[in-house]
Amino acid sequence: MADLDQLLTKKVADRYLKREVLGEGTYGVVFKAIDTKTGQVVAIKKIRLGKQKEGVNFTALREIKLLKELKDPNIIELIDCFPHKGNLHLVFEFMETDLEAVIRDRNIVLSPTDIKSYIQMTLKGLAVCHKKWVLHRDMKPNNLLIGPRGQLKLADFGLARIFGSPDRRFTHQVFARWYRAPELLFGAKQYGPGVDVWAAACIFAELLLRRPFLQGASDIDQLGKIFAAFGTPKPSQWPDMIYLPDYVEYQFVPGQTFRTLFPMASDDALDLLSKMFAYDPKARISAQQALEHRYFSSGPPPTEPALLPRPPPKKDSMDSKPSEFGPTVLSPNSRKTRRVMPEKGNDHGIGNERSGPAPMSLDFSVYDNRPPARPTINSADRTHLKRKLDLEFQIPEDDEYP
Amino acid sequence: MATNFWTSTHLKELLEQEEVDVVHNLDKQRGITLDDFKLIKLQMTNYIARLAQNVKVRQRVVATAVTYMRRVYTKRSMTEYDPRLLAPSCLYLAAKSEESTVQARLLVFYIKKIYPDERYRCEIKEILEMEMKILEALNYYLVVFHPYRSLPQLLQDAGMSDAIQLTWGIVNDTYRMDLILIHPPYLIGLACIYVASVLNEKDNTAWFEDLRVDMNVVKNIAMEILDFYDKQRTISDERVNAAMHKLGLRK
Repeated sequence: MADLDQLLTKKVADRYLKREVLGEGTYGVVFKAIDTKTGQVVAIKKIRLGKQKEGVNFTALREIKLLKELKDPNIIELIDCFPHKGNLHLVFEFMETDLEAVIRDRNIVLSPTDIKSYIQMTLKGLAVCHKKWVLHRDMKPNNLLIGPRGQLKLADFGLARIFGSPDRRFTHQVFARWYRAPELLFGAKQYGPGVDVWAAACIFAELLLRRPFLQGASDIDQLGKIFAAFGTPKPSQWPDMIYLPDYVEYQFVPGQTFRTLFPMASDDALDLLSKMFAYDPKARISAQQALEHRYFSSGPPPTEPALLPRPPPKKDSMDSKPSEFGPTVLSPNSRKTRRVMPEKGNDHGIGNERSGPAPMSLDFSVYDNRPPARPTINSADRTHLKRKLDLEFQIPEDDEYP
Repeated sequence: MATNFWTSTHLKELLEQEEVDVVHNLDKQRGITLDDFKLIKLQMTNYIARLAQNVKVRQRVVATAVTYMRRVYTKRSMTEYDPRLLAPSCLYLAAKSEESTVQARLLVFYIKKIYPDERYRCEIKEILEMEMKILEALNYYLVVFHPYRSLPQLLQDAGMSDAIQLTWGIVNDTYRMDLILIHPPYLIGLACIYVASVLNEKDNTAWFEDLRVDMNVVKNIAMEILDFYDKQRTISDERVNAAMHKLGLRK
């Protein structure tokens, strides 16, 4: 390559060739790059330094800490970290798309075995986390990335935590609302891997329905939606419920059968769903148990990841000749950027979310650029959360001098 | 111990004593001996603990900070990584990674307060720069396991619940050595219980024999701890100062 010398000047840390910006992550810009050592395409997160001169971003540090311990085919790989011009850069394997894009793409038909494959990979990743005592705490389709060969991988561990000791208190302000387990909505501070399983169940349901399953407009409404679907929990179903900090009595509603809620699903799928949606976190199936459920072992096997339907990959400069590398064009992304900040492009506020899905007969493909507004952890929650996450754990706990 | 220790980077990164007891060439050139090297690390352990008391963080944070500091010195020289800056920076990073963030300015404030010595002074900016360098030196491995968590349970099981304060203190003291870089934390914990039983003249032979662990390793660690207590008496401030003087860094 004649213009290699030219390219060298554009390299980051002498190794990565910078390409287009992929999006604005929770704590900095994400851009595509080529690893000149391996030829591999990677995604690099440039960590913004904190405003208050507090060094390496706390959330980023958490992600580094946990991802260094979690190496698995169903968990995003942190390939490298390096400082460059005073900023920390995290190098991840490049992922083409995410599960949210798959679910939303109306041109994609998801067969029962495709759904089985996607949810199996989700649960596999989750089981590895839980086995290593890590709670993900932000499971949603948008954080389940899909690689070039169809592999689904858990990503965004910025909210994840080690849950080593059972009596540890955590904040309940985790997960985007639609994926929040009922114990969190009732303010539980001591919770376990069941919260991730509930979120995985919501994702399972979303794969079946092709729309977010429980679209609450507020925390109260979220519980209302949950109860309207499955019925208000009886004390016998969930004995500890009434002791939760934010417990309020809800008017009794009977709920619907799983068959009515998911008319197209198989009996095995419904049985697994009902176990993942168990109200009592103690009775909820674990990710590992879910993988051993007959849904995965009987009937048609899950689709090979490489054969899964995916949205067409973004047209990108990957195909262009090396001579066209040139200066990086930061072209504005017409498609959604991954993990946008909360509220971005959502000036209509929460009311927007309530409108729910439009009739199925409408052709949505033309509206694809404009995804329905999904709540992430909203900004109010976020500051609250940040405060909590930063401060709450200074309280001496189990490790303290007895 | 949490089950994930067995697949952790902590386990993978454990070293042999001979690998830990290597004085970096740059430090050797300044006349630093292996004894000096150990003394300075001990001094910095005390420094971290003292600073931590002031900013009020959990013992676990102290333990992690000391582990970071000791790990860094298996890879980097004291000449390049001034201990008086590395120590507080390790505490700063450990507080973050153990989820009890401490502000850098608070550290700077207390350093000034407890060490009027000019050479200990550092600025926020220096701590933040050092944080990045520590991350690199650690190869971004941040999860560290400690013997503390399982201690109360083990002691109860051994019928030694009354010895928890003593044992806890012994565990704290193990961080004045490099044990955490060499042995799995549960063995260090057991060795501390062993030392506590010896000190309390309690015969726990049967309990130890029931554990499926290599008692030779536990006893060797216990011997090292007792050796350390013996040597500790001979350490004077002059010796520490002399060692630090050889480094002769900063201002």
